[in-house]
Amino acid sequence: MDVWLKWAMGPLFWTAFVFMVLGLLRHLGLTIWEAIKTYRRAGDKNIPTKQVMSSTVRWLIPVDRLKNRWLYSITTFLFHIGVILVPIFLAGHIALWRQGVGISWPALPNSVATALTWVVIVTSLAVVVQRVWAKDSRVLSRFQDYALPLLIAIPFVTGFMVMHPAWNPFSRDPVLLVHALSADLLIFLVPLTKLSHMILMPFTQLVSELSWHFPPDAGSRVGATLDKENEPI
Amino acid sequence: MAIEQKYSYNVEQKGLGGTDRVRRFLQAFSAILRHGNYHLALDTYSKLSAKCARCAASCQLYQATGAPEDIPCHRSELLLRVYRRYFTQSGILRARLFGGFTLTDEYIDEMAESFYRCTACRRCKATCPVGIDHALVTHLGRWILAEIDLIPRALLVSVREQLEGDTGNTSAIPVPALKDTVEFLEEELEDIYNVNITFPFDVEGAEFVFFPAVSDYLMEADTLMGNAAVMHVTDGSWTIGTGNYDGINYGLFYSDRMMERIVKNVVEEANRLGADKILVGECGHATRSAWYVPAFCGPDAPEVVNCLEYAYEQLKAGNIPLKKDLIKERVTYHDPCNIARAGKIVDQPREILKAICENYVEMTPSGTENYCCGGGGGTVSIDEIRKFRTGPLGKRKADQIRATGAEIVVSPCANCKKQLGELCQDNGMEDVEIKGVHDLLLEVIDFGVDAESEKEEEQQEEVAAG
Repeated sequence: MDVWLKWAMGPLFWTAFVFMVLGLLRHLGLTIWEAIKTYRRAGDKNIPTKQVMSSTVRWLIPVDRLKNRWLYSITTFLFHIGVILVPIFLAGHIALWRQGVGISWPALPNSVATALTWVVIVTSLAVVVQRVWAKDSRVLSRFQDYALPLLIAIPFVTGFMVMHPAWNPFSRDPVLLVHALSADLLIFLVPLTKLSHMILMPFTQLVSELSWHFPPDAGSRVGATLDKENEPI
Repeated sequence: MAIEQKYSYNVEQKGLGGTDRVRRFLQAFSAILRHGNYHLALDTYSKLSAKCARCAASCQLYQATGAPEDIPCHRSELLLRVYRRYFTQSGILRARLFGGFTLTDEYIDEMAESFYRCTACRRCKATCPVGIDHALVTHLGRWILAEIDLIPRALLVSVREQLEGDTGNTSAIPVPALKDTVEFLEEELEDIYNVNITFPFDVEGAEFVFFPAVSDYLMEADTLMGNAAVMHVTDGSWTIGTGNYDGINYGLFYSDRMMERIVKNVVEEANRLGADKILVGECGHATRSAWYVPAFCGPDAPEVVNCLEYAYEQLKAGNIPLKKDLIKERVTYHDPCNIARAGKIVDQPREILKAICENYVEMTPSGTENYCCGGGGGTVSIDEIRKFRTGPLGKRKADQIRATGAEIVVSPCANCKKQLGELCQDNGMEDVEIKGVHDLLLEVIDFGVDAESEKEEEQQEEVAAG
């Protein structure tokens, strides 16, 4: 078991982590590169920067945007707070980083981390239930839309069990192994699924704005490529 | 509610028509991706679309029909699926290994139906947490479809007349008929308001060249007289160009290729007359497409000003004298999506109306969050779908108007006015009047001593003759 644990928290974690970082950097690089190309081709280079920045910030911290589908919105909002804070600021995780690479940062008190873990467990299940419940989201949902929240719940449930042995009917190590393996899988999936929004979100408002800035002669060029220049309308 | 098939009877079959559509669709898609600026958006949207359905709550069509096909995210997915499968490496690889989605004739028909059920009002964009602009995807989808001749006939016929017809405008009004109409408007101004106002033609070096929706010359006499009256009392330097006097640009609704040509023609006319600015009349989409002047013609092209912006600035500066008797009826304002959604023209018309109406009420919601009239995106031109437009598409707007209890609905847009008129007729609100901002301005402008003395002179003449 020890060997498996070391493998899941060592080489497997690092492989997944490096894959995630490289994958996200690729997304970031391609987006920035394409955005520059799009901007350079645009006929009107006057971008309403203030408006784009304001809507970007308001969507990154959407506290004033929770009215629409309010229950679902509040559920996902709380879900995101837990999912972002706990893995990064849990004292146990920071200790692993310190042991492994010698870096550390301030941790959340364990009581807060525990509360947030509960928030994630409850909201991840609630997200799935609400997705199925509401016709609007049920008809749109793909496999990953159900699978990802459930997959995200696994490391939080197992993490909680490891931290609170009284709640754990199994022995510690197998649960810790499931915790590490599920987290590794999630980290690996980040660049391949909609989880990539963690890096792309700050750019989407700009992307939408830029796309309305047409190149001056795109229409004529499309006409020429399709051999339609002299075709009557 | 079942989806009503509507595109089938408003599409003109020409050229290659229904043959080899899948290959031609992909060819057109590829050419547009190569030369246009849509690649970045499609790539980003297809990676992070979260399918949360928040857009469903903001879409007035989906709220009315409840049909999953009408959810904005579902509509966008139709095109994103094609993009992923045929234009991304992972999609091509996945198809090689596992098969899966293939573009078919039926799928193209489904897209055509879906993209023309949307009014492109962009309301859903403001509710998407990951920032997907569904109207952008619909806009692109319509262009690709247009390149394989899937275009609503009403839009196609208008653009054909504008770009290839003898008259060069969407209502096919020749210059002599235009001049007759204008003469009639001048007489009306004299008869009703006792004021001598001329609509200037081809004045070289005028500050503004005027581009209303050309249909206003046939249907919106009061709006045009209001425009002329505002220019008259403010000593505005303006002209109508006989080379091009149509602000309508249906290219915005179905093809960037057509839109580019129409915008360039407008600028050409302004340049011919040596004007500094393009003055767009009361028309939402004409204004939004004119805002693309710098995109297609560079930063040195003439500046674009909407007549509401002009009137508001002049009113604020105290250059529009008003009578003591203001508009007494209960008035509400409908925001045309094309000028309001991005927040560009929201306050100006309201400030004007508040200054001239004694009983002004707001709709809820309004401004940047307004509901579309139900005829946006060119759908108002398609007479065959009136039942659909004034039914599910316009239901929300009809409810909003009813809730205000207004006697007059003001909307500075030729398309909105037509739709709102039909909407009120078909929803039991026949008494509600639909007007433009300038129609009301015309009623309250104080033309001053000249008009008064002219009126008195006339009365004296009448007495003498009597």
